[in-house]
Parts: sequence; structure tokens; C-alpha cells
Amino acid sequence: MTQPAMPKTWYVPSKPHKFCPGCGHPLILKALGEAVDELGIQNQTVYGCDIGCSLLSWNFFAIDSTQTHHGRTTPVMVGMKRARPELICVGYMGDGGGYSIGSQHLVNSAIRNEKITLILANNTNYAMTGGQLAPTTLPGQKTETTPFGRDPQLTGNPTMGPEMISTITGDGAYVARGTVAKYRQLKGFIKKALQNQMEGNGFSFVEALSTCPTNWRTNAKQTWDWLEDKMGSFYPVGELKSPFRKED
Amino acid sequence: MYGVSRCRIAKLLGIVCPGGVIILHTGTRIVEAYIGEYASGKSELAINRALELRQTSDEVTLVDLDFVEPFYTLRGLRDFLRQQGLTVIAWGREDSFGLGETGSLVNPPARWVMWRSGHIIIDVGYGVHGAASLNLVEGALESPELKVWAVINTGRPMTSSVKDLVDYVKGLQRVDGLINNSHLGDLTTVDFVIKGLQVVEKAGEILNLPVIYTAIEKTLAPKLLAAGLNPSQIKAITRYMPGAMW
Amino acid sequence: MEKPVTGTRKVFMTGNETVAWAALAAEADIMFGYPITPQNEIMHYWTRLGAKYERGFLQTEDEISAGFTVCGAIIAGKKAFTATAGPGNTLMQEPFSMAEAMRLPTVAIIQQRGGPSSGTVIYSQQEVTLTTYGGNGEGHRIVYSTASHQEIYDYTIKAFNTAWKYRFPTFVLGDGYQAKMREPLEIYDPAEKNIEMIKPSPMVGLPGQIGIEREPQHLCNIYSMEEELYDVVLQMQAEYERIIPELVEYECRECDDAEILVISHGVVSRSTDDAVMALRSQGIKAGAFRPITLRPFPTQKLREILRSGVKKMLVAESAYGQLVRLLQQEVYGETVPIETLLMPGVGIIDADIISKVKSLVE
Repeated sequence: MTQPAMPKTWYVPSKPHKFCPGCGHPLILKALGEAVDELGIQNQTVYGCDIGCSLLSWNFFAIDSTQTHHGRTTPVMVGMKRARPELICVGYMGDGGGYSIGSQHLVNSAIRNEKITLILANNTNYAMTGGQLAPTTLPGQKTETTPFGRDPQLTGNPTMGPEMISTITGDGAYVARGTVAKYRQLKGFIKKALQNQMEGNGFSFVEALSTCPTNWRTNAKQTWDWLEDKMGSFYPVGELKSPFRKED
Repeated sequence: MYGVSRCRIAKLLGIVCPGGVIILHTGTRIVEAYIGEYASGKSELAINRALELRQTSDEVTLVDLDFVEPFYTLRGLRDFLRQQGLTVIAWGREDSFGLGETGSLVNPPARWVMWRSGHIIIDVGYGVHGAASLNLVEGALESPELKVWAVINTGRPMTSSVKDLVDYVKGLQRVDGLINNSHLGDLTTVDFVIKGLQVVEKAGEILNLPVIYTAIEKTLAPKLLAAGLNPSQIKAITRYMPGAMW
Repeated sequence: MEKPVTGTRKVFMTGNETVAWAALAAEADIMFGYPITPQNEIMHYWTRLGAKYERGFLQTEDEISAGFTVCGAIIAGKKAFTATAGPGNTLMQEPFSMAEAMRLPTVAIIQQRGGPSSGTVIYSQQEVTLTTYGGNGEGHRIVYSTASHQEIYDYTIKAFNTAWKYRFPTFVLGDGYQAKMREPLEIYDPAEKNIEMIKPSPMVGLPGQIGIEREPQHLCNIYSMEEELYDVVLQMQAEYERIIPELVEYECRECDDAEILVISHGVVSRSTDDAVMALRSQGIKAGAFRPITLRPFPTQKLREILRSGVKKMLVAESAYGQLVRLLQQEVYGETVPIETLLMPGVGIIDADIISKVKSLVE
């Protein structure tokens, strides 16, 4: 029986990984790994991860990596890129690390059109700390800090991250939202986000709609329904800004 | 104890389900999920039950399904429990703390426990989703074998009055029975346990749920017997959890 | 509106839950917080119970915001509090500094975890320096270090009164073990213990027509001249010193004729008490000194004890010298040698203290 193919840039000693069964992170990280393989940039890529479930990816890749602080992956990657522009700096974070505590860094890096690539996994909750409210929690969704369901009157509407980023960032930026439900498309977006940095065009940002059956407390079918129907209808998937021609 | 428990469970399984068909207990396997409020005693009772079943069965699997509380879980006792002959599905402390920030991680074999042979005891952590945590165990909620027991400690303010307890249990969704685990740690008195039982029984009547048993620390069990409780209604437990942390 | 806690009764809870219940009993109006282990259950319980008793809650975008939103709510005249740990405590030093400068009665519960940086999510006593002297001020703060759930309840209620009476940022310093441990305790309506909860008052949005019935309030935390700042800081220090005798709390066990004095705080003091009892039964003249207020430190009492025949002191802490430095500055000039049992991020049990003391007396 043939083994499923792992990206070459997956670090074998840290496998099998610890992500929960049904988690979307390994799919996003597989897409990233394959993209790095195909672009041949393993040696010059540096990978940064946040706190939260993204933390589990700190030794995931056979790529130089660093864990940072919660929400501070973006500025760390900015610092790296400013110091060594030839490095391909990739930051990986969750919806909390990106849109909550990390939002000021995300916004300012986007405005400055920092030539880094950020990938954000959106699973509508703070998973690792036990399932609290996240910026992308849907209205009515129950979490440990919205035990009666998220009330937009009290906590605002869910954050539309790529929409916000695409309006404030500069020419040459690449902004997209993909979903683990459409793996090939997501991988395509991630690859372009890396290429955009390789070409030195501008800020590159991909949000990936992801699954968290553990905190959603959903079985397989319910998980995919939530991802595809609920999240899919709330968060549109596609490229919002791209310096590449359509046919690229 | 085991024989008496089996009789109670057999009676409970003869429940009328919607449609009027009486389900008869045909297999000998026990599948129980322990749910309840934070710090209600779920892990302690799940461990005691698993060890109890181990005395008469070679195959007992204990599953850690706690995704909110990072470290007061049965994970700290994993190796000890394995030495007692249990199959324990849980990450070790070194796997699940810190790196990973808490331990809100499903150990992958937990997903498929229903496919194992032998008895299955599931320790379901607290959380706003109640019994829905069992969705993570493939085939659990659909299984006719599964019993979901809500562990109640009336020493905890949110489940100390009949009204609050009824509201709380309703919020858990799927519950098949209540267990009275009313206690105050080292300050527990038999009187407190009995008062707790009265609250749990009243709630059980309103909810139409049976009270499966009263759990009590084993040194106090004789006093509970002396107070007049039916021995079949008492489960003497050993406290293992304090050794789980440090 | 029904009171959340009426009368007194015995309950069984975790430390975090105890904080939530105490804050309810203390009539706290609103909590601002951000998820960080090991204090999350304070928020989980506050959001569940707060809805029932019309208390407010906001999960802010981060800890800096949680600290500043607390400041804002207090300036507006409501009792606000927050809770955090580790890196979150580091972030909150900015808003706590503003609270020090503007004399805002902030209440914060700190559940120490391993440090520095993300450290561990579990336990330590490594936020002593940060909580007592963090930020860019002079440590004009009040810090209670608890050792049991009963104390978490008692001192969280007290923290609100201390803060609103004296107007210095007030902290309840716990740790991850206390946060997660389960213990019985007695919860009570403060009125049952003749504790009167101080009512909050606003600094802005005051009643009355500006210019006619009152002046507009102009609040600041910045000054033009060095001399202005000098006066402000000295005045704060004078007020702080004046109230030290009213605030200081400590516990002594077997200190009267102690030859070796074991000094510890928080949850470690439980092990120290057990160790001292065991050592005494073996004929060793050990004593236990436990500061309950780390700020202000019970300096006078400690100096008295040190001058009454103590030959050595042993400082035991789950940090690398934070309690040592705190007391060194307070007892400078005393000639009793300081020994240390330093276990950063690791729990200290009675056996650890007993064997260390024995090695020192031989």
C-alpha cells in the first residue's frame, strides 16, 4: 500500500503531528509545504508561528522556524525581512493571533506593504485555550466566553479580515481567502502568496477557513456542514487583490 | 458491587424508546460517559468505575475527552492507570501541556474507541456544549450501549438548588442518569451527602432521570450505610485525582 | 436584584471560580479580560453568572486593552477588574502604570505561570517583581499573595475595598496551582461579616452643569516640569507610607524562639507550615514567616523577628530570587544570613524545605 505523500519540507521526526483528528491546520500546512517544495525555497524560507494551536507547528517543517508570542508573529517576521530581505518570511497564526491581539501589527504591516507572507487559519474560536470567543466567531455561536451565543450587539460582527486588508494595503499586495474544503484552490493561493514575496511585490495574506471539530464538538459530517455551509456562506472564498494576471 | 450495578443497569436499559419498542440488554458491555460541571468529580468517578470494571474484565478502556481544562485531568495518572491494567487513551502530561498551551487536544485513538472490544469509560470535560463533546467519538451518541451519566456535586453553587440543577442538566442535552457526588472535599459530612442526594433526587424526578448512585469517599462509606442508605445506592470511591497534578 | 451570595455557606470550588464568585459578592460591575491559561475559568464563570446578576463583560482584543478598559470603566465610576497571567501580566504593566499615576482603583487577579515569555502554562512565583514593581513607576501598588481558596475569596473582596478606599492599583497574586486546585471554602455575603463594600464614584460624567454647578474634570498622567512630577511622586509615596500600618498583613508560625526562619509566600507557605511542624517535632527550632501583603511588605514585623534570636533565614520560592530581592531591600542592615531554596516554575513540597533546613543546621 502506498503511503500518502508528505511534502518534502515536512519534518519527519515531528510526525505523526499532534493536531486533533479533523483539524484543518495539517491541511493548510500541507498546502504550504507543497508550495515551498514546488517553488524550491526550502533553504531561504523562515517560518514563524504564534501561540494557540498554530504553536503545534513550531517544529513541523524542515525549515528554519521560530515560535513568537501571541499576536506578535507578524512584527517578528517584519523584523526578519527588514534585516535580511533575501529570506522568504512566512508567518502562521490563528484568528486570535491575527485579528485580535495581533490586529495592530497586521493592519500596520499591510499599510506599509511589508514584503512578507502571512497565513491565517480561521476556525471561529480560540481553540487551544479551550474554545473562547474569537473575532471570527459567527453570530449566535456558543463559546466558553459567549455561553449564550455570540451577540453582535455586544461583541460586534465577525471580522472580515481579507476584506479589511485588501482595502488598506498597497499596490503589489496579494490578498485571498481560501478554505480547506477546496484544497487545490487554497494551495494555489498560498503558492501565489509566496511567489508574490519572491518577486518582491508587496504584502501577501491568505486566510484559510479551517475546521475545529474538537471545540465545535461536531462529528465528521457536522464539521464539514459548519465549514462549507455556515462559514462558507459568511466568508466568501476567492482572491481579493492580486498583482498577477488572471491566467497566472 | 459489580453484580448489583449490572442489575441496575440492566433494568435501566429496559427503557421504552420513542416508538414504544423496549430495548433489551443483550450484550455484556458497559459504555459510560461521565459529564458534568467543572470540578464536579467526573474524572474521579470515571477512574473508579474503570478500575471497578477491571476487577471482573480484562478489557477496560478509559478515554480522556477533556478539551477545556488543561491540567486537572486524568492525564497525570495515565501511567499509573496503565499499570493497573487499564487501556488509557490520553496524551501524557509532557505531550499536552505548555507546548500546545493547554492540552485542548484530542488523542486520535479517542475518536474510534467504540470499535474496541470490552468496556469503555469516557471522561468528558466540562464546557458550554455539554454532551455534544461525544460527537468527537465516532458512533458514540448513536450507540444503544451508551449511557451518559451527569455527575452532580451540590457543594458547587451552580448546581446546589433543585432549580439550578434542573436548568443545568437540561443544558447538557443528552443525559441518561444522575450521580450524586455531593461533597466538600476534606470537610465532607454524611449529612451533606444525604442533603445533596435529596436535591439530586428531586431534580431527577423533574427531569425524569434516575439517580444511579451516591458516590462517597471510602472512609465515609460506612457512615452513609449507618445513616440508612441502601447499600446498592452507594459507591465507595478512592480519591486518585489529587495525585494527578503534582 | 437578588444577591449572588446570601448568608454564608460551604462550597467546593476551584480557585478561578472562587475569584468570580468573590467579585460578584464584592459588587464588581464589569470584567474585562483576554484568554490566557491558567485564568480562563474566571472569565468562563463570570460570563455565565454575570448575565444572571446584570454584570458586564467584554473579551477585549488583548491584555493591553483589558487593562485600559478597566481604567476607563473606573474613571467612569464603576467597579471593574481583570485577571491575567504571564505574558498577559507583562502587557498589562502599561495600563497598571497609568492606574498608579492617576490613582485608579484597579483590581487584578494574577495567576502566575512559568516565565519568562510563554514559559509554561502551569505554575510559578515568577511574577512577584512584575506585580509588585512592574511598569515605569515606583511600585505604588498593593499586592496580596493568597495561599488558599478561602483567602482567594476573602482577599478578592478585600481587594475591591482596599483599592477604592486607598486608590492604589490592587492585586491578588495567585498561581496556576491555586487556580486549578479544588478545595472547600465558605462563601459569604460581605454584609454577614460586617464588611461594608465601598461604593464606587466617578471621576468624569459628574452631575451638574459645567461652569455653573461644577468645574470640568481635567485628568492627566503627564507633567510639563520635572518639579511637578517630583511633587506628585513624593505625595504618592507619603500617602502610601501613611497607610502601611493599616494594610500590612503577615502570618508567623513558631517564630518566637525560631533559630532558622523559613520565609515564603503564597501556596509555598502551605508546605512551609507543614515543614516547620515536622522540623519542630524533630527538635529543630524552625519558624515560618509568611508575608501576605508583598506590597507593602511587612518589614517592621520581619525585622523584629530577625532581631530576636534567628540565626539563619531560608527563603523558599518557585522563582529565582524575586522574593529574596524583595525582602533584601526591606531588611537591609539586619545581619542574619540569607539562605535560599529557589525552584523557578516548580512546586515546593514540605520534604524539599525539610531537607534544605536540615542541611543548613548541620
